[in-house]
Amino acid sequence: MHKYIFKRLLLLIPVLLGVTFIVFTIMSFTPGDPAQLILGESAPPEKVEELRAEMGLDDPFLVQYFRFVGNALRGDFGRSYRTKREVFAEIFARFPNTLILTIVAIAIAVAIGIPVGIISATKQYSLMDSISMVGALLGVSMPNFWLGLMLILAFSVGLGWLPFAGFEGASSIILPAITLGTGAAAIITRMTRSSMLEVIRQDYIRTARAKGVAEKKVVNKHALKNALIPVITVVGLQFGYLLGGAVLTETVFSWPGVGRLLVEAIKQKDTPTVLASVVFMATTFSFVNLLVDILYAYVDPRIKSQYSK
Amino acid sequence: MLKNKKFIVILSAIMVFALVLTGCGPNNPEGDNGGGGDGEAAKDSLIIAQGADAKSLDPHGTNDQPSSRVSKQIYNTLVEQTVDMELVPGLAEEWNQVDETTWEFKIKEGVKFHNGEELKASDIKFSIDRMLESKEVAHIVESIESVEIVDDYKIIIKTAKPFGPLLAHLAHTATSIVNEKAVTEAGEDYGQKPVGTGPFKFVKWDAGDKISLERFDDYYEGPAKLKTVVFRNITEGTNRTIGLETGELDVAYEIEPIDKGTVANHKDLQLIEGPSLSMAYIGMNNLKEPFNNEKVRKAVNYAIDADSIIESVLHGAGQKANSPIGPRVFAHNDTLEPYGYDPEKAKELLKEAGYENGFNTTIWTNDNPIRLQIAQIAQAQLKEIGIEVTIEPLEWGSYLERTANGEHDMFILGWVSVTADPDYGLYPLYHSSQHGSGGNRSFFTNEEVDKFLEEGRVAIDAEKRAEAYKKAQEIIVREAPDAILYYQTQNVGAQKSVKGFQLHPAGHHSIYEVSFE
Repeated sequence: MHKYIFKRLLLLIPVLLGVTFIVFTIMSFTPGDPAQLILGESAPPEKVEELRAEMGLDDPFLVQYFRFVGNALRGDFGRSYRTKREVFAEIFARFPNTLILTIVAIAIAVAIGIPVGIISATKQYSLMDSISMVGALLGVSMPNFWLGLMLILAFSVGLGWLPFAGFEGASSIILPAITLGTGAAAIITRMTRSSMLEVIRQDYIRTARAKGVAEKKVVNKHALKNALIPVITVVGLQFGYLLGGAVLTETVFSWPGVGRLLVEAIKQKDTPTVLASVVFMATTFSFVNLLVDILYAYVDPRIKSQYSK
Repeated sequence: MLKNKKFIVILSAIMVFALVLTGCGPNNPEGDNGGGGDGEAAKDSLIIAQGADAKSLDPHGTNDQPSSRVSKQIYNTLVEQTVDMELVPGLAEEWNQVDETTWEFKIKEGVKFHNGEELKASDIKFSIDRMLESKEVAHIVESIESVEIVDDYKIIIKTAKPFGPLLAHLAHTATSIVNEKAVTEAGEDYGQKPVGTGPFKFVKWDAGDKISLERFDDYYEGPAKLKTVVFRNITEGTNRTIGLETGELDVAYEIEPIDKGTVANHKDLQLIEGPSLSMAYIGMNNLKEPFNNEKVRKAVNYAIDADSIIESVLHGAGQKANSPIGPRVFAHNDTLEPYGYDPEKAKELLKEAGYENGFNTTIWTNDNPIRLQIAQIAQAQLKEIGIEVTIEPLEWGSYLERTANGEHDMFILGWVSVTADPDYGLYPLYHSSQHGSGGNRSFFTNEEVDKFLEEGRVAIDAEKRAEAYKKAQEIIVREAPDAILYYQTQNVGAQKSVKGFQLHPAGHHSIYEVSFE
């Protein structure tokens, strides 16, 4: 098991190299000159040239890339072109905000998705099932920004219970987390339902029931554990997706997260910030994936035996 | 069973981790003051929202509006510009011009920096030398050749050539005076540790979220009425209005045109509107066919109805422009007649130019929603005179780069004459030395205009300058290198309890006089 984890961590190196290389390539070959962007709408061409040279933008592409990798290995991701702040400090100030939001959103999604999915599956074609499936459909289809605005209208403007934007304390997390978690909740509900439906028709469940095991125990103990593997996969994927895809929610709620930082940085061609954010997100995503794989082992002993090989 | 336990342990570990992280979130000491304000007599904490976070609070490191709006409260400049654009003493007590290129400034005594240091002539020399080194703001002070210290409270500024707008430039927020010791100590992180002489001192910056300032009790003009000021970053325009409605914001900058009515009609809110120094225009590439033909450019001017753009896109928040510089800018030529909306005349001009059947062209814009809408209106109106326009939205970086290279046909941009001096508003846009990235993206070339712009720049006598600039405007409007659209009105939404808020045409409003009733 430890060997497996170690192997997976080693795999992170090529992943990060690949990711940064792709991002670096895209940033380098899209039009738009960072030097011109820094200097603004009125800058004499000499000044732009001078700044380009100073920033090392005139060097060949590969030289620039390996300089970045070299510095990054020493923990130096450089300074943002826009704010002149150390990129790492900037991301570190914001990354916890994104992480908190994602974790709370996923927690909400799991708390809603799994129980509703189970009920839907065990009471297939019931009214309850129909309602939750329609709810899930709505949840997936609703655009984030719209849901966010509606929640703001209801709970901030209408009732005055919760802050409308920013990170002003724990209560600020609720609305953005619900906004972000709704889509994931819907997906998790559907996944749990279909996975449960499959398991519940297996022979061993029939056997358990035939033995006279209480229905509650059959569902929660015998069926759920086996149905959980695909659900965990989806939760892990959703976690990674929310981590990087929270931009709309972050914008609607003016949430000071990495998603918005990344979008602003891309617009301004702030390559150091973009690269460092992507490295951060890719690393977190990889860790979440690893965590998911480890969780498999605890849920399903068959998988654990494979890891040990 | 054991495995189950492990599973639970891991799950709880994740939960605890989440809780710990939540605990690490920012606390908000000002939060409890954030209420509507009506009932609270002693409210002295102002929360302002703007659409973007400041980039840096090093005034010499950036020249963007969100940063200037915060920096304005932290720093002072040698000369200051009132809301009526009058130049008045700032950190300089008085000045006099010794000869054409030499200016003597007497510095106020007893001015304290936030770190307790006293303002000395050496700080001013240090600041100006630092500006000259800065890539971002050097262009604002590039006329300055040297700064000499006479004694602790007197300096002499020499310009390489006579430079008329010097005082206006020294009032620009980018020429804020910094403390030498503070800058040296903070090194590259100075942008996050600003130290100035202004009415508010820096306390804390929650990246991407808010900047907190606190009253500086030793401010040389007397302490401000407010104790704390928080600048929050609320990206979405509509959300800023919502924040006003819920009472979580006291002041919100840049209310969206569509929300103006909501704010104006709300019982607790007020909408403050006033002129700005910004102008919007549709540029044409004067080097390319068919826009190298003056008649075609004039036809475009006659074909585009600026009034309809102001009405539909800005919801009336603009004034039709008759010159590239607005009425708030020195030497604005108010005798010029704007091109009216006259499609018949436009068709005639096109015919004279040999384009009876019109032509196909493209108009570039960045993803600014207002510019996109202007592009659509222009497209429809130009179609009426036979010009088929394709709209191409470009990402900001490539927009700047490619218009600088002259790859475009038509484009939409704006310009802010921040110093309220015509040199700032005309020289970059119309002098032939500024083609491309310098600012003259229409690639307009006119020797006479060049001459007048140079004259205005070096003349010291205000009347002489005004005359040169008025003539330059006349030629520019006559030659129509671009279609000048409007001067934008700026607005701010605020709680009715907020008193003493004055709009500065340059967009960075001083909070010093603001209080709650």
